[in-house]
Amino acid sequence: MNSFFSGIRREIHRMCSRKMYIFGMVIVPIFTVVFFLDLLSPGLPEHVPTAVVDLDHSTMSRSVTRSLRALQLLDICKDAESYDQALDQVRAGETFGFFVIPANFEKDALGGNTPTLEYYTNMTYFVPGTLSFKGFKTVAVATAGGVVQQTLVSMGVDPQNVASIIQPVVIDQFPLNNPWMNYSYYLTPSFSMATLALMIMLMTVFSITMEIKDGTSPSWLATNGGSMLQAIVTKLLPQTVVFMAVSLFMLWLMFGFSAFPMNGSLFWLIVATFLLVTASQGFAVFVCSVVPNPRLSFSLCALFGILSFSFTGFSFPVQSMYGGLAVFSWLAPIRYWFLIYINEGLDGVGLYYSRFYFVALILFPFVACVLLKRLRKACLNPVYVP
Amino acid sequence: MFHSMNAFSYIRNWFAALGRVFRRELRHIIKDPGVLLFFIALPLAYPVVYTLIYNPEVVRKLPVAVVDESMTAASRDFVRKASASPSIEIYAYCPNMADARALMAEGKVFGIMQIPASYAKKLGNGEQAHVEFYAEMSLLLRYRTLVAALTDLQIEMISEITGEKIQMAGLQSLAGDASAPVKSESNFLGDTEQGFASFVIPGIVILILQQSMILGITLLGGTSRERRRRNGGIDPQEVPNVPVSATIWGKALCYTVFYIPMTVYILRFIPEMFNLPHYGNPVDYYLFIFPLLLATAFLGLTLNYFMKQRESAFIIIVFTSVVFLFLSGLTWPRYAMSALWTWAGNCVPAVWGVEGFIRINSNAAALSEVAHEYTALWLLTAAYMLTALLATSLLRKQN
Repeated sequence: MNSFFSGIRREIHRMCSRKMYIFGMVIVPIFTVVFFLDLLSPGLPEHVPTAVVDLDHSTMSRSVTRSLRALQLLDICKDAESYDQALDQVRAGETFGFFVIPANFEKDALGGNTPTLEYYTNMTYFVPGTLSFKGFKTVAVATAGGVVQQTLVSMGVDPQNVASIIQPVVIDQFPLNNPWMNYSYYLTPSFSMATLALMIMLMTVFSITMEIKDGTSPSWLATNGGSMLQAIVTKLLPQTVVFMAVSLFMLWLMFGFSAFPMNGSLFWLIVATFLLVTASQGFAVFVCSVVPNPRLSFSLCALFGILSFSFTGFSFPVQSMYGGLAVFSWLAPIRYWFLIYINEGLDGVGLYYSRFYFVALILFPFVACVLLKRLRKACLNPVYVP
Repeated sequence: MFHSMNAFSYIRNWFAALGRVFRRELRHIIKDPGVLLFFIALPLAYPVVYTLIYNPEVVRKLPVAVVDESMTAASRDFVRKASASPSIEIYAYCPNMADARALMAEGKVFGIMQIPASYAKKLGNGEQAHVEFYAEMSLLLRYRTLVAALTDLQIEMISEITGEKIQMAGLQSLAGDASAPVKSESNFLGDTEQGFASFVIPGIVILILQQSMILGITLLGGTSRERRRRNGGIDPQEVPNVPVSATIWGKALCYTVFYIPMTVYILRFIPEMFNLPHYGNPVDYYLFIFPLLLATAFLGLTLNYFMKQRESAFIIIVFTSVVFLFLSGLTWPRYAMSALWTWAGNCVPAVWGVEGFIRINSNAAALSEVAHEYTALWLLTAAYMLTALLATSLLRKQN
């Protein structure tokens, strides 16, 4: 027991003697969550810069332009005289799309010649592209409906029945639990916690492999009575405490200060977050045991940590990925945390549906113990390969 | 040796010194497997891995549960039309909403379509009929796919039923196609397939170029710092007696030249290999990317000031990729950013690089049409050259 506390004391001393620890364990994770909260605070990037090309200049075309201007989604910031000019504006990055009202639009629409409203969206930027597409489509469909309505009423159809003729079927959409389509509710928790997981892995690798690099690993083991397991526990426990405190603060910033939706239990999300800390540490210990060399273990954890932002499916669903890649998503602790967050925070469906994710997070540290013998060997005969 | 000389021999000596630094740095790169990992393996592998992750491009066949309370020919017709959409797959028919909600909680379905009991009756009476659709929102991409499918479905239903109704009401004398007096046509520019890889990869590859280069440079910088600490303040492997300006230019040119093959591979062959949008003129994008490489090299040399040891690069640089990805506007558009983050993004070479390259590559813009971004990249090159000069001088004085 004595050696346990001297192990802890040794590690706290090491942690306090390097500024790198504070930077990696506290500053980076907290900066990341503040960055995402502030950057994404509008929730939805409305007011997409767009243009209108009005080739008709009639009452009706002006009314279409007015409807476009009235949409909150769009910011009609440019007037273009022609298709070519509007396309140039897109190429120059001034707009993300444009809406073309053809010449003789009013005359053709009322005369039954079926004119075509065209709209162009620049899909190279996904979010502004889809938002302007949505705005354009709404106005195009509403314009068509308005013309039918005008024609029917002028032909003597009871205005009260017009709605059921124009729109006989309406599909009411209920976006459950996030009717505001707030992007931040997805991106901020997932990306800031994924950054935390990345930093936990890197700092764990840092603290273990620096012992090997500096040749202090034999004395590290000796302080802990020669037990690799105890050496790992005493080394990582002080970091675990710091990371858990940091993660609690991050959760408070999101679910307290910024009032993110919490439809389930905050308690279980906190438990999941603590398990994410130990699971990420376990992952890094496993990597260090496989390749007890700073360059390779750092590279592996950095590679995996950065790729996990993509293959854990925060933005593109794992179900739609190629099977071989989807497998990797289940190796990343952050994947389970993300699924628990969706269940607890957003959907509020209860612990039962997250049971396997919790089990998976609990397993990581135990898997890490499997190869400790190998790590012990490397620590007893430290060889530094740059 | 650089004092008390005339201008010509100074210039000649300066270039000779630059050449020596260039050659020495090249040797450092080739002899360091860690740097080679960043300079070669990373730019080779990452674009392929990312493309493979996103290459399915679009989300299809999203499982949906149906709660049909109407149980009529009309409601079955509606479900049949819905299942014809490539985005929707009817996963199950549920007798009630509770069962459907349970399926959703288990993650088996991502939407519930509820057709109320009054559906067929209302349709028959000429009233407006409603169908309710509940979407699970754990991923916006899925929701957006479902919404697009439902909108198309609604338009299809409207043109069919409205056409019938107008005929029944004896209004067929109405000129033209009364149910659709105005047509609309949507066109997609750039990423015409609306695919995820097609939109994300052209931007990400630029970030990969910048970040892998900075990681390699800072790894070299941290390693040199360790050598210096071991040797009483002097790195024995640095070229001695060279002016700071020749040192940073020699190194920056070395990194830039080393990156030329990688750049050709990333900008030219990755889009071709994976059939991504690729419309730009190669001369335009090579000319465009050159100041990005140079600015990045100088930025890396500036950051070396903070690299106390070899492993610092991993802890200080790796996470910035995530921050830079967002500052680039690829995920969250730049017009919606506050002044602070716009300004912060303006300082990152890849932010301008992403914007300019996407427009050249996907929208077929010419170099003159990205003149704004191009100028910004050259300004950043000048600014980071000065900071690299300052950082390197300060590091030398520390000894």
